[in-house]
Amino acid sequence: MTLPRKINFDTLKPEEFEHLLPDLFATGDGKVSQDPRLKKFLAQHPDCAALVSDLEAIAEHARSLFEPVGDPSDKVWTNIQSKLREEAAHSANGESTEEDPDEDPEN
Amino acid sequence: MRYAGIGASPANVQFPEPLMNFEGQLMTRATPPKHNPGLFKRNPPIAGEAEAIEAAKNGDAEAFSKLYTLHKRRVYTLCLRMLGNVSEAEDMTQEAFLHLFRKLGSFRGESAFSTWLHRLTVNLVLMHLRKKGLNLVSLEETINPSEEDSPRRDFGSRDPVLAGSVDRVSLERAVALLPPGYRMVFVLHDVEGFEHNEIATMLDCSTGNSKSQLHKARLRLRELLRQSGQPQPGQSAEAVQ
Repeated sequence: MTLPRKINFDTLKPEEFEHLLPDLFATGDGKVSQDPRLKKFLAQHPDCAALVSDLEAIAEHARSLFEPVGDPSDKVWTNIQSKLREEAAHSANGESTEEDPDEDPEN
Repeated sequence: MRYAGIGASPANVQFPEPLMNFEGQLMTRATPPKHNPGLFKRNPPIAGEAEAIEAAKNGDAEAFSKLYTLHKRRVYTLCLRMLGNVSEAEDMTQEAFLHLFRKLGSFRGESAFSTWLHRLTVNLVLMHLRKKGLNLVSLEETINPSEEDSPRRDFGSRDPVLAGSVDRVSLERAVALLPPGYRMVFVLHDVEGFEHNEIATMLDCSTGNSKSQLHKARLRLRELLRQSGQPQPGQSAEAVQ
């Protein structure tokens, strides 16, 4: 799905706009509300403008979710250490180590 | 303390990025990786990290412990957002660091370490979901959502805009309520900053599909956020405000 080459933004209908929205958001910096081609259309269709505004707000706030929420429990590190010691012991004994997660175990 | 594992691990297999397709098969890039400036911007180098990486590559357990301390929260948060379950998120955090330990030798510094680690984690989580079988349902939902699963189209509604009322807490709650498939694409793109082409490779779908599913995820979030802002049964409008 990409933007059609020729779009007449002056005669755009809300249904067509909805269809174009995923690509409009994916192109440029994702600021559909700032797109000069859509200025007139959004002014004429306040519901579409409200939708754009909401989706932009959601995308904007999503970035704040990048920040960590908290630490994993201490048992995670304990388990990691224990597994690594186990693998090191196997390795020292010349045994094969833990399965490689890159390998598909179904094969 | 030294672990024997790193030197003895199959990390000599060279691959520029820990990129796996959705079948869990290792893929190498035919062209040099395109660095995502956004990811670099959000993942600036951490003081002492480079030294810790080099030392950990040589089996220094303390250095590996430092890498864990530096990155555990981000990796855990990523797992939690993708899986929506604390227990599974902890298990995958554990797997991610074990995998990191085995693969650290192949990290060549072509991207920020945290970017590399995040990608590795995403691949592991996707593989985990695939193996679990449950993901088949959720990813089908992403790739081929049924009409009932699709967000409502509500251009005709005259609800007030959300812009001023979205906050981190409400969004976090809404994201947790998303169907797993939608949540995956939303977290990968809007939270983690992956490009659509990267998501398409990871999920084994088209770029257009990734764009479309992200859009649907955002529409669903809009609905959820609106619902969360409405008075609940038995609750007055004033109480909500």
